[in-house]
Amino acid sequence: MTVFMKFRTALAGFPRLALWIVAGFLFLGLFGPWLVPHDPLKQNLLAAGQGPGLVHWLGTDHLGRDTFSRLIAAANTSLVGITLVLGIALIIGIGLGTLAGYRRGWTEEAIMRVTDVGLAMPSLIIALAMIGIFGTGYWNMVIALALAWWPSFCRVSRAVAVGVMNKPHIEALRVMGASPLRIFFVHLLPTTTGSVLVYATADAGGPALSIATLSFLGLGIQPPTPEWGQMLVDSLPYLEGDPRQVILPGLALTLVVVAFNFLGEAIALNRVPRPLGRRLLARRRAEAAAWGRPPTGLVTGEKA
Amino acid sequence: MLGYVTGRFRNAAILLVLASMLCFGLVVSAPGNVAVLIAELRTPGATFAQIAEIEEELGLNDPLPTRYWHWLSGVPEGDFGISYKTGEEVGAAMARRLSVTATLLGGAAIFACLFSLAMGFLGALRPHGVVDGLTRIGALIGASTPQFFLGAMLIYGFALKLGWFPTFGDNQGLRSYILPWITLGMLPGCVLSRLVRVGLEEEMTRPFALTARAKGLRRNAILFRDALPNVAPAWLTAFGAQCTAMTVGSVVVEPLFAWPGVGAMFLQGVQFRDFMVVQAGLLIFISFFILLNLAVDIAVMLLDPKLRRQGGR
Amino acid sequence: MNAVYDIRDLTVDLYTRSAAVRVVDGVSLSVAAGECLAIVGESGSGKTVMSFAPIGLMPEGVSVGLSGGAQLAGADLIGGEEAALARLRGREVAVIFQDPMTALNPARRIGSQIAEVCTLHLGLKGAAAEARALELMRLVGISDPEARLRQYPHELSGGLCQRVVIAMAIAAEPKLLIADEPTTALDVTVQAQILDLLRDLRARMGMAMILITHDIGVVANAADRVAVMYAGRLAEVGPVDQVLRAPTHPYTRALIDAIPRPEDPVGSPFRGLPGMPPQLAGPIGGCAFAPRCPRATPGCATLRPPMRAVAGTPGWQAACHHLTLAVIPKGAAA
Repeated sequence: MTVFMKFRTALAGFPRLALWIVAGFLFLGLFGPWLVPHDPLKQNLLAAGQGPGLVHWLGTDHLGRDTFSRLIAAANTSLVGITLVLGIALIIGIGLGTLAGYRRGWTEEAIMRVTDVGLAMPSLIIALAMIGIFGTGYWNMVIALALAWWPSFCRVSRAVAVGVMNKPHIEALRVMGASPLRIFFVHLLPTTTGSVLVYATADAGGPALSIATLSFLGLGIQPPTPEWGQMLVDSLPYLEGDPRQVILPGLALTLVVVAFNFLGEAIALNRVPRPLGRRLLARRRAEAAAWGRPPTGLVTGEKA
Repeated sequence: MLGYVTGRFRNAAILLVLASMLCFGLVVSAPGNVAVLIAELRTPGATFAQIAEIEEELGLNDPLPTRYWHWLSGVPEGDFGISYKTGEEVGAAMARRLSVTATLLGGAAIFACLFSLAMGFLGALRPHGVVDGLTRIGALIGASTPQFFLGAMLIYGFALKLGWFPTFGDNQGLRSYILPWITLGMLPGCVLSRLVRVGLEEEMTRPFALTARAKGLRRNAILFRDALPNVAPAWLTAFGAQCTAMTVGSVVVEPLFAWPGVGAMFLQGVQFRDFMVVQAGLLIFISFFILLNLAVDIAVMLLDPKLRRQGGR
Repeated sequence: MNAVYDIRDLTVDLYTRSAAVRVVDGVSLSVAAGECLAIVGESGSGKTVMSFAPIGLMPEGVSVGLSGGAQLAGADLIGGEEAALARLRGREVAVIFQDPMTALNPARRIGSQIAEVCTLHLGLKGAAAEARALELMRLVGISDPEARLRQYPHELSGGLCQRVVIAMAIAAEPKLLIADEPTTALDVTVQAQILDLLRDLRARMGMAMILITHDIGVVANAADRVAVMYAGRLAEVGPVDQVLRAPTHPYTRALIDAIPRPEDPVGSPFRGLPGMPPQLAGPIGGCAFAPRCPRATPGCATLRPPMRAVAGTPGWQAACHHLTLAVIPKGAAA
């Protein structure tokens, strides 16, 4: 099977709508900045507070900036942010987790203790504390959130690593003389990375919400760079008169997070088989009916 | 069992000490010179001499352990130092705000608890049916909606347009509690409802559910009397985690509804880099988390008959 | 015939995502009051489905199609509503399961689980239900019942758990007791106790019993009649003594043959049966056992053998084309 077809069957079990939304988000996030009809940063006080129209499809905010363009640009901000946070968190988490699963013993104990503490703390608190001490700023936010997210990746990769280490082929590799480094990088790491990546994509909604929440609090993405949470808080004072500017960024964010969460649920496979749908059931019934039944009396054998 | 409980308390105490060290360590590693900030606060355009004076006064030149002990010994009396921004006593300010935050958290937690049990159970009554599908989608959307967005929408719809509730403040009695409670409790409630729904479905596939059906019990009765008690420990653990998350959520919800709580004060501390406030808030939050985990651990142990007899092992 | 449980040409089709499967294919049996019928077969022979499907005890989410006739104490089971079936369960028919430790709810006390049945079917509430639960526990031989009332399943041994399950089953004095491999998960010594208990209760209450098992020893010990199933069909049914001593169906014969005997020399190979049972799918043409049968002839693969009486003994039948040709087994009634 070609790579494309393999990809398609792999995605076959997933809810279509969610996939499309995520694809849309990725597309807009990547190419949005080149596709926007207006400059998202350009203010025009004369055109402030407009409703949807021909020029500004979704209207303008209180500073006259085109809302549609800002929403799309914010997708880019989100995507970059999520990628950075997850990327750093994955590197730390997978690295430490695989190491813990590989070495066991004291190393594992130490790493997992720290992981446990990290898991017990809500992500936002760590970010808030760090921003409170070290100040706002893009990289402060990214690093703070990455520090909040790595523990869960660490735990998953350790579990996977332990599972792989228990498999017979690792023992065989050792006997054949493979060096520890080789086992670690060639055999362990790819497996743990693969598992955790799947888990991480399902979890992508989390950093999206955190970035938006921090921006809402004025501690994340600073204006004028557009970001959904920040757009929402900027428009909050005008809620009564122009709710649109609050609703639109909120909806955009919710939509993307819903899509990611939907995918995440689908990934956590249903362990209980669901009953057959009506059509399938009818088909099976017809199948069985076509067999007929054994003629009566054939098998009752009452009298010889 | 007593051994388990005392062990848990001991762990919690150790964690509390570690947390205090963490909070302290975080603040002393802050860039910049605190003495400068305070000097500016007292007399703009302070001189080096004044700054040095303040450094002595605050004990900034003492070795770290001394400073740590100095700070820690003040905590039990509620002395968390002076806010660098407002100059008032942090401890006293926090104490005033505790009851506000407690009201917010308590109500939201109860809402999340009842909501999750109701939604999850409703869905499980007829698996894969219409109600189940609707509650599933509803829970998914609810778990993905940012709390600040939900709050803004609730304010717009029910306070501004319909006028049923005040748009902000906590001084109009029960009416002013409703929207903040829902805003804070909805997301955790939806997350927990998924857990209940999936958990119930799993429990219904277990052998004891078949036994119950063989006894002649109806499905709904089995769901309630047999499946639900088995879901309880997992739900309780998750509920504890969600309460932790809600505590942090107060940092968003309190400013949104203009409630003068600990979260709002902590947020201001972070926004203005008021280290003493950040330190105090962090310590209060983390201590609360540790105690909450302790309570949940003990409750789960009491709930699960196997753990109860074996003393928690 | 005062049959408590009577099934005629029962056919059970299982509807799965990939295909429809015929799990039970035209089985007819009956059990009289006070009688114990053992149903023997390998895993996948349909013995459990045959007993559970008519009373609506298939696992959650599994779709089945039932046809034929099934009657329990005069009531029609096929085509009945779930509500009607639920009313029969526990009251007219009760079930005891293979693994007693998991059959009980780990989060509830023993007393509560037994009393629940008393409340549901006997209308007893509170203290009265508890009293009846104590009675039942004594009846099934549980020592120190007052203490056991408040205990949880994980505090009891396997044998004790099984007694609790039995107590729950007989609470409403059902007419039929279905025992699905009740001793498989227990120690050998406990097995004998449980079987004795079941026989005792049967005699006391005049209950009919269906005993599903793959253990011939249990059959010999506890059953009056035995039915042998293969690939969802009935191979042979008859009085235990006759069938076990002189099996007529080749499959039954192989089963009995396979049991090691004291006179076998040490180190001799097992007398197994070559091949595997057929993968269940649609109905099998001809005799299901033909591919593995030493007696098979070409005709066996095309024509399904009807149940024929054996050697003129009433109640003894086997489904084999070559019955009449087989040598009359020694020891059988003339």
